[in-house]
Amino acid sequence: MIVCEVTVTNRAGLHTRPASMIVRTASKFDSEFIIQKDGYEINGKSIIGVMTLAAEQGAKLTLVFEGEDEKEACEAMKELFEKGFGEVK
Amino acid sequence: MDTRSKADMEHLEGAEITLESAAADPRPSRAEGGDGEIVLEGVGVSPGIAIGPAYLYARTTFEVEERLLSDDEVEEELERFERAVARSERDLNKIILVTREKLGEDSADIFEAQLLMLRDEALYNAVEEYIRREKRNADYAVKVVMDKHRRMMEASGNEYLRERANDLLDVEERIIRHLLRGKILSAIAPHSIVVAENLTAADVVLFSRRGILGCALDFGGPTSHVSIMARALGVPAVVSLHSVTELVAPGDEIILDGIRGRVIIRPTEKTLAEYRISRERYRRLIQEEKQLVPLPAETLDGHCLHLHANLELYEELDQLHEYGAEGIGLVRTEILFLVRGSTEISEESQYEVYRKIVEAMNPGVTTFRVFDLGGDKLLPMAHREHNPFLGWRGIRVLLDRPELLLPQLRAILRAGAHGPLRILLPMVTNINELRTFRAHLANVEHELIEEGFEILANPPVGVMVEVPSVALQADHFARESDFFSIGTNDLTQYVLAVDRGNDLVADLYEELHPAVLMLIHRTVEAAHRHGIPVGLCGELASNPRAVPILVGLGIDELSASPVYLPGMKRVIRAMKKTEGETLARVALEARTADEVREKLDQWLGEHACGFTYFFENDPPPGPGGRTAAS
Repeated sequence: MIVCEVTVTNRAGLHTRPASMIVRTASKFDSEFIIQKDGYEINGKSIIGVMTLAAEQGAKLTLVFEGEDEKEACEAMKELFEKGFGEVK
Repeated sequence: MDTRSKADMEHLEGAEITLESAAADPRPSRAEGGDGEIVLEGVGVSPGIAIGPAYLYARTTFEVEERLLSDDEVEEELERFERAVARSERDLNKIILVTREKLGEDSADIFEAQLLMLRDEALYNAVEEYIRREKRNADYAVKVVMDKHRRMMEASGNEYLRERANDLLDVEERIIRHLLRGKILSAIAPHSIVVAENLTAADVVLFSRRGILGCALDFGGPTSHVSIMARALGVPAVVSLHSVTELVAPGDEIILDGIRGRVIIRPTEKTLAEYRISRERYRRLIQEEKQLVPLPAETLDGHCLHLHANLELYEELDQLHEYGAEGIGLVRTEILFLVRGSTEISEESQYEVYRKIVEAMNPGVTTFRVFDLGGDKLLPMAHREHNPFLGWRGIRVLLDRPELLLPQLRAILRAGAHGPLRILLPMVTNINELRTFRAHLANVEHELIEEGFEILANPPVGVMVEVPSVALQADHFARESDFFSIGTNDLTQYVLAVDRGNDLVADLYEELHPAVLMLIHRTVEAAHRHGIPVGLCGELASNPRAVPILVGLGIDELSASPVYLPGMKRVIRAMKKTEGETLARVALEARTADEVREKLDQWLGEHACGFTYFFENDPPPGPGGRTAAS
């Protein structure tokens, strides 16, 4: 299991497009993917789940990966957050 | 992005809606005559004029009923759910594609998200589980599961999430609509005009049995199955309207003009009055044209053409004699089978169908085009071609797959014992394909005779002229063919390098482009040098505006959907061949399609035989145009 912390940096927060990108990226990997925020957690491969997070700019999220390709999955996800989902910050 | 701008984006699937109106108002109006009347331009695929209330297939609310399943129904219900999700996926993919083309890569985010929702683990799996555990019908399960999530989103204090709840509702309704398709279809009120994103050919059959007045669709083209079916059933239809489902509210009065390819939403009294007159005139015109049915397609100076019918559906057989078809110029054999979703294409089942067609047409000739399959229908998804129009299609597929070709040839030759027929090859590009085909044909003949079947030996074999190489080498092909049939739809696409299904370039698709006409001319000249007849079976044939030029170019047979034949005959009987020849000469010299059209409209106006003449307030646009009463 890999656990890492990320911060939502893009201005609009995890709205529709970033949420879709997270789900699409997570779905490329076999590992299970959980996102925790403020004490509750959701399935990171579910668009409904990620939307329900309603994470805004500055929100801190804990990402939990578990599975064969957890390392690669974690790297890919971290990159997505670091780049602010390709949006202007 | 808020819900309103999402609705705007859906409007922008349409080329006809301007950007500023979409940005300003979720229900933009393109007023023409004021008072909020909206005029949408599309493609008329089945002629006629209908005025009536809209039945909005896409926005209809439906009662979802709870039903307890027996144990052995559960698997079936799960499959039904999966099918509905797959259909919804297809819808959304199409919407995404069009939205991106119109508005750029980022514009389709909402629909991308909806696409993900369809297969969301939290939803899809939950619905499956609900069906299994609670043994309830799929539509009910979808409603229970999705409503629960939706309520949670709506109840949150977050505005963004409350808006996303609308997306979930869209997804829920889309799936349920596919699940309840049959029920929704049979609930439709007669004498209404169906407004939908898209329909299947089977839907149109159901609708027409309910006595609907017409269909207005966002998607589709002239050769879509739904269009072909609408024509066959005599249901006026306009397709490719892009945004009609967004702009129409349930029960709105609309005018459907299947002749000019136009839909008018919430028309003014003035427009209504005009269209009531047009509708009456059209009725009269159709009555008049009925009287032409027994007469030959003969020009004023005594030149006779043959008017043949294109046949896609069994249902059209009755129309052959009603509209005066002398023969069948094109049986699209692949549609005959695929439109029913039938994969059963054994020799025996083909023989039965072909025999009935030949018998119905006898003594007129029937032209069977062998299966014109796009490779996409045979290949698994993973092997999709990047460029199917330049890929594995038509005769290429058949020569690679004799297991498809040979049973069909056997069936056709056996049907030939019951009446005259010809065989037509699609998508030929080089002469070797024709030769290989003839070798197969000879073998099959030999086989059948050995087996003791009564057959037609040596049937005429012709090639479709739909690829420029064939038109350019027409002399060589004419030497080894018994007839030609020009397929203008594909020929135009290949000559002008335009995919007319692509909204970005569709306006470059010009069947009357001088370059297309030059290839037709070249083909006819070569054919006549070698003494073989030339037919033309594209949509161009059914366009009365084009008929004078086609007569002038020397086409021997025109083939179109049966409903169009009397209108074509009316033009032919009102002209001289020499006039057509003059028009053809001018057209071949023209630089643009606009120049060609201008000449033709002028001529039609002078001769009062175009079909715009019965629209009292819409005289032909040519300089010499005038309005003639009859």
